[in-house]
Amino acid sequence: MAATGKVKRSNVNDLPQGVERLKEEHRKVVKDCRSQIEHWEKVEKDYESLQDRLRTLPDKLSYDIMVPFGPLAFMPGKLVHTNELTVLLGDNWFAKCSAKQADTLVEHRKKHVKNALDDLQKVMKNFQNRADFTNDLEKLTGRTGDFVDIREEVINEDEVTKGKHRLAHKPNSKPKQEYLLDLKEDKEKEEGDEERMTGVLSEEELWARLDDLEHQEELQDARYRLDSTDTNGEDTTSSSEEEKEADGGSGVQVNGHQKENGWVSSSLTSQMNGTNGSHPADEEEEEDCEEETDNGLPTIYFSHTVEFKKVRINTGKNTTLKFSERKEQKEQAKRKKKNGKSNGHSPLESYKITSPADIYRVFVDLVNGEPIPRKSILKSRSRENSVCSDTSESSTADFEERRAAFGRSWSHDDAMHSDASDGITEEESPTGTSPRTNGRFEAFTGTVIEKDPLPCSIPHLTIAPPALPTIPERKLEEVGQEAPQEPPKRMSKFKATRLHQK
Amino acid sequence: MAEVIQKKLQSELEKYQLLQKDVSKSMSARQKLEAQLTENNIVKEELAFLDCQNTVYKLIGPVLVKQDLDEAKATVGKRLEYINGEIQRYETLLKEMEKKSDQHREVLSSLQQEYQRAQGQAVAKA
Repeated sequence: MAATGKVKRSNVNDLPQGVERLKEEHRKVVKDCRSQIEHWEKVEKDYESLQDRLRTLPDKLSYDIMVPFGPLAFMPGKLVHTNELTVLLGDNWFAKCSAKQADTLVEHRKKHVKNALDDLQKVMKNFQNRADFTNDLEKLTGRTGDFVDIREEVINEDEVTKGKHRLAHKPNSKPKQEYLLDLKEDKEKEEGDEERMTGVLSEEELWARLDDLEHQEELQDARYRLDSTDTNGEDTTSSSEEEKEADGGSGVQVNGHQKENGWVSSSLTSQMNGTNGSHPADEEEEEDCEEETDNGLPTIYFSHTVEFKKVRINTGKNTTLKFSERKEQKEQAKRKKKNGKSNGHSPLESYKITSPADIYRVFVDLVNGEPIPRKSILKSRSRENSVCSDTSESSTADFEERRAAFGRSWSHDDAMHSDASDGITEEESPTGTSPRTNGRFEAFTGTVIEKDPLPCSIPHLTIAPPALPTIPERKLEEVGQEAPQEPPKRMSKFKATRLHQK
Repeated sequence: MAEVIQKKLQSELEKYQLLQKDVSKSMSARQKLEAQLTENNIVKEELAFLDCQNTVYKLIGPVLVKQDLDEAKATVGKRLEYINGEIQRYETLLKEMEKKSDQHREVLSSLQQEYQRAQGQAVAKA
């Protein structure tokens, strides 16, 4: 997805005025509604007391009362014919009824009153919502609320996709652009669209640009058809610009924004983990998050990183998944080069499990010296010659390193197995520590220890206690890393860990 | 030059204001009719509750005049139709007045622009 475009920064003076006015109007309407509601509620109460009176009236044949005599005097008198009432029906029509019939009429009128009340309530609620929305909008543009903008920039993907992308994943799929555009347009209009950006191109230039972009889009389409990937970020922005131009009306305005804001993909690339150069997976993708306070809201930029390709091969008895490991290692190496951050932990990170996919990567069969991923890690057959996880990632190490690592883990398991009680305590302690420091980041918080007797007798390397304590180490490192980034974070545990994985 | 435009502006403005007054008058008349409409509807429904035994009266001036229930119902029905017709008439009237006032508004805005331009020129000359 190429989420391009920015929120337009309009003239600061205009915005509060317009918003204030809007709020005023909202408040007025709400007040009016309230007073009307009060009035109708009074009416309803009156009708109810009337009904009470009607019910008690026919109880006696006549009542002794003080009859009002003009505005200032009363006279003692009698109320007779207590069941005969002359009722005003409206519009100068009267009817003589009994008390019960009058009661029915009053009920009928109360129904009307209730309807009016309901309508007023609805209107009030409606305007209340509108007022709240304008408040939220103000906060949004004023960066004071709890809103976070999430953007994903797509840059420089030279990836080979197997199969076609779904339309929704194509960065240039038009509907999303339009929705995005409309939203931005609305926002801009609300914020006072009397301003025009100063970078507006002349008409001829626009037409030339339009032609350029059309051409580029054609090229892109051709590339899509060949199952190649998208062009780099600039193209996506330009094509999105083109689409915006094509949208007409406010196209010029938006275009101006694009240029004016100086939104450049390259500047953002440096901010993101350079994970874009990898293969897209058929299945899983990882996401990195990062937080930036950009010119607008606090934003989270995330990018898709990619797992290695998996090729399904038929090995007779079972079909297994074979990783194209070499390629993947290369990619990882590339990634590490690009990425300037958290690079010091590759050997340690190599056995870290942060997602379900990692499990499968770790649990590989060593067949003829080649690690082949298992289809199922629960089957007992596959436990022979298997690498037992100590929650460490196995992907980036060299092949030799991996063997050594395997040896390490095996020996670890040996040790564990040989001393059961020790094993239990050791088991407990890491699991004890990991949840404690672990609360936010890891998908897999326990330790996996297999206690099968393993035939190999690889010398016990002096990495005791084995890789397990690296978990707390790593956690501390992660925490250390996380700390400087504290202020308003909005990322999930998974993303945070992957962030630091890179 | 500017004064001529100013005079034109004034006259246009007056016409526009007259038109606006007419619009508001029709609006209020229409609102009255709406209220009468709802009232007569209620009367009709309440008359349906009564039976022949109840006597119905109509207030004509200071006098309560006896009416037949069926007659009353018929009268109220006719009144309702009349009110509806009046509302329709006012609707069309209002629409036309809206259109006219829009035209006037446009004229006014164009005159205003001319006036401002003239003002600018006058300032430049002076």
